Amino acid sequence: MARELPTGGVAAGVVPRPLPPGVRRRRFLQAVANHTVLVALSAMFLMPFVFVVLTALMTDRQALSAAIWPRPFRWSNFLEVFRAIDLVRYTWNTVQVAVGATVGVVVSCVPVAYALSRLRWRGRQAAFVVVLSTLMLPFQVTVVPLYIIFVRFGWIPSLKPLIVPMFFGDAFSIFLLRQFFLTIPEELTDAARVDGASELQIMTRVVVPLAKPAIAAVALFQFLYSWNDLFAPLLFVGGDPNLWTLSIGLAQFRTMTQVDWNLMMAASVLFMLPVIVLFFLAQRVFVEGVTLTGVKG
Amino acid sequence: MRRALVVLSVLAAVGAACTAGGGGGTSPPPTIEPSGTHEPVTIEIWGAWSGRELKQFNQIFPAFEEKYPWITVKSVGNRDDEAIVAAIRAGNPPDVVLSFGLDSVGEFCASGGWQDLTPYIEQSDFDLSQFPESVFKYTSFAGSQCALPFLTDAYGLYYNVDLFEKAGLTEPPKTFSELTEYAKKLTEFNPDGSIKVAGFVPWAGFYEFGAVTLSIPWQAHWYDESGEHSAVATDPRWKQALEWQRDLVDFYGAANLKRFIAGLGGEWGAGHAFHHGQIAMMIDGEWRTAFIQDLAPDLNYATAPFPVPDDAADRYGMGQIGGTIIGIPRGSPHPAEAWLLVSWMATDTDTLVYMANNVRNVPTTYAALESPDLDVTPQFKTFLDIFQNPYSHYKETSAIGVQDQDLMGAFMEDWQEGKVPDLQAGLEQVAEQIDALLAQARI
Amino acid sequence: MSPWVVGFSVFIVYPMVSSLYFSFTRYDLLSEPVFVGLENYRFMFTQDPNFWQSVRNTLWMVGVGVSLRIVFGVVTATVLTWPRRGAKVYRTIFFLPTMAPPVAAAVAFVFVLNPRIGPVNQLLGALGMEHPPLWFYSPGSAKWGLVLLGLWGVGDAMIIFLAGLLDVPRQLYEAAEIEGAGPWQRFRFVTLPMISPVIFFNLVMGVISGFQYFTQAYVASVATSGNRVATQALGYPQGSMLFYSVYLYQQGFTYFRMGYASAMAWVLFLITMACTALIFRTSARWVHYGGALR
Repeated sequence: MARELPTGGVAAGVVPRPLPPGVRRRRFLQAVANHTVLVALSAMFLMPFVFVVLTALMTDRQALSAAIWPRPFRWSNFLEVFRAIDLVRYTWNTVQVAVGATVGVVVSCVPVAYALSRLRWRGRQAAFVVVLSTLMLPFQVTVVPLYIIFVRFGWIPSLKPLIVPMFFGDAFSIFLLRQFFLTIPEELTDAARVDGASELQIMTRVVVPLAKPAIAAVALFQFLYSWNDLFAPLLFVGGDPNLWTLSIGLAQFRTMTQVDWNLMMAASVLFMLPVIVLFFLAQRVFVEGVTLTGVKG
Repeated sequence: MRRALVVLSVLAAVGAACTAGGGGGTSPPPTIEPSGTHEPVTIEIWGAWSGRELKQFNQIFPAFEEKYPWITVKSVGNRDDEAIVAAIRAGNPPDVVLSFGLDSVGEFCASGGWQDLTPYIEQSDFDLSQFPESVFKYTSFAGSQCALPFLTDAYGLYYNVDLFEKAGLTEPPKTFSELTEYAKKLTEFNPDGSIKVAGFVPWAGFYEFGAVTLSIPWQAHWYDESGEHSAVATDPRWKQALEWQRDLVDFYGAANLKRFIAGLGGEWGAGHAFHHGQIAMMIDGEWRTAFIQDLAPDLNYATAPFPVPDDAADRYGMGQIGGTIIGIPRGSPHPAEAWLLVSWMATDTDTLVYMANNVRNVPTTYAALESPDLDVTPQFKTFLDIFQNPYSHYKETSAIGVQDQDLMGAFMEDWQEGKVPDLQAGLEQVAEQIDALLAQARI
Repeated sequence: MSPWVVGFSVFIVYPMVSSLYFSFTRYDLLSEPVFVGLENYRFMFTQDPNFWQSVRNTLWMVGVGVSLRIVFGVVTATVLTWPRRGAKVYRTIFFLPTMAPPVAAAVAFVFVLNPRIGPVNQLLGALGMEHPPLWFYSPGSAKWGLVLLGLWGVGDAMIIFLAGLLDVPRQLYEAAEIEGAGPWQRFRFVTLPMISPVIFFNLVMGVISGFQYFTQAYVASVATSGNRVATQALGYPQGSMLFYSVYLYQQGFTYFRMGYASAMAWVLFLITMACTALIFRTSARWVHYGGALR
């Protein structure tokens, strides 16, 4: 890959000005070369998807053969897979977790971020440092005692450990929201304060509407995180297949009865689909969110 | 200040919640007069059954409820060992627990998480001689009989009769050198040198073949007699078993074999290689007969006991056994009724025969094994015999659960790839690791 | 604020304190914790070869996986700055794999890289390669399979680099061009320093998450080993996928060695902190804030 760097190092576009034909020809060839590289890379990025979908449409014997193209197309695999594993239940569990956790994070993190950015109180800076430092804390450090706490609560196995803690704040989301809230001009909130609005009103009526993109990004990230996560669900509901999320269900596919590659790929497709649709619907929010964490962080 | 108080009180509450635990007394077990009249009570049993098997399992309880009209049984499926351990730890376990996890018997018994049933057995004059001797090797640990058997698995040799005929073979192999010889005869290669049909795949991690299934027919011991030290470096059988395995792997070539395995169907699906004649022989449990009946009814196959070492030919007929266990967890709310259920499940002939016929496992009492109602095909019969063979056993359990076999399994992966220059030194290292874990578990 | 304080205490502070305590005990959840002093740490460092294997695997993944991901992220982001038309379409395509749930992506790669029936090896075979790699079935190539999987999902890093690249003032390139700098020199002396803060950010995040690498390794092992019991498949093949978090999970939640797992968690925390601190220390030398040219 790195080999392509020197030849393609025209890192940014060039300001247009009248050009002699020789240069224009070179530019044209350059553009063709550029697009060739881009198309080749695109093909590489798309290939795995293509193979997965094609295999999902094969018969089980064919999936085990050298064939690339399904013959015949077995669309019924997408129904079959619901019989092979309890996909409906896994999806329902995953939706509960993802929606619950997302609501929890938004409800709990907005006020904290507000307090950390808009309210003046002693220890605010210290609190922010604490939030930042928990960003660094590996989940592994707290997971054993957490497991034991949840056992004592009688929450294992249940979906609660995956949802309830999110109602008590999440360092990453607090951090992201606080960074965004800081960019909202003080004058706006001060003006509202002069008008006699309470802090709650300022938060819900002034700050939240302005911070919609950031809140959307936080919600989206949490949703995807919960939708995709394997480690925590494995710990907390791994013992009860009735509570499995899609991640566990798919990860265990091979070890369960009555499966083969074609159905496994069909399940993968069904698992990817909602997220990819979501991505196309909310691409802008998503890209902005990633960039916000990376560049402004 | 108020905030600090909140934090403190929360910490205190959680702290208290996390340090509580069940104590274990040695008071005599609660008993109940089975024929008297009693307040109605519902008892709960947890097990890892799911789907079709769970439905079948739930069918057994009406007979019990008829016998003890004041008891209602609530059966909860999909509860594996992790969930059971969590519930015991939380102090709200069910009355009766059922586990497929034989390897945890050591931990269950040693920790008292599963109660020692000996007092119950003594108090109710429960007759242990209705079980073949071999079941006690996997239901007790260090003198604590903390479980009873509820059906079992048995492992034997499956072979493809058509492929045998094609290769001019009629009888199953009885010793390991015969197994090698047969495997070579039955193997077919493609023109490019890749494997088309494998006679026998001696690859740890492939279907049921692994450290445990290899050690038992080889009569290799995991622990010395004291049970305190690993025997994998001192019992010469280990070396013989592994050298036998390597020899056959080298026949195929490790990389060639791996490529072959990677393209085979899963163990639990319709693509299973044995169903499709891609492997001629394999080691597997009795349940495979049901899978074949279901997924490949036309397959012409037979079963036999797994081969034994050449110098132990007198033990031919033995095999690996060990299956589902039931017991009473610490903190069981109705231990007296729980014992009624456990003892009934372990010994009621109709129940065991019903489960054996439906779930296709081997029943665990003499009466059930001999029952005329037991549905016995020739292929299945092999496993009933293996179970009753006096030399049949499961691997010795220990306080470290599956960690010993995981270590051995990891070692075998290295070994079969040819990554172990000195077998004896390698085995000594495994033994050392197992001993270190045992020592840790004893502190 | 107060729900957060409660949550912070219950879900962070208390667990941290008690996990430190548990790290000095033997605790199997069934019986009471037994205080064993430094035994867990002694065992970990002197008697547990799997621990060291998991450390080596993880360091390899952090070293090779994270750096290749950064290089590939910069490359793809650079490539995305070329076209004047269609940039958005390409960006969407490049980013798409990042959206695939990690479990699904790993399952897909296990199939695509299957040594016998997977399309990649069929292609390599067709190109005349006699012994294409066994990928997830061989300890020598399994981690490279994971690296490829990581590169496929490079999108999140790429998007951040792209934003960084587009922020580089054009005048800088023009100035460099006037001074006679070729494409490589422009990249080396303008682009790299200008995006070094972004590289720094990605490096830190990559290292932190690299030490917690779990999902893809878990899935690949379980899907390839063919072992009936998922937990016995961990690390397959030959322990080459036994990463630190995988091993910690196995110890804590399949063997129920809660004390040992806690000790491992603290060691992980300290290693992560040390590595991050190291990166921060060296950053002064190569990270350029404020767009100063070298």
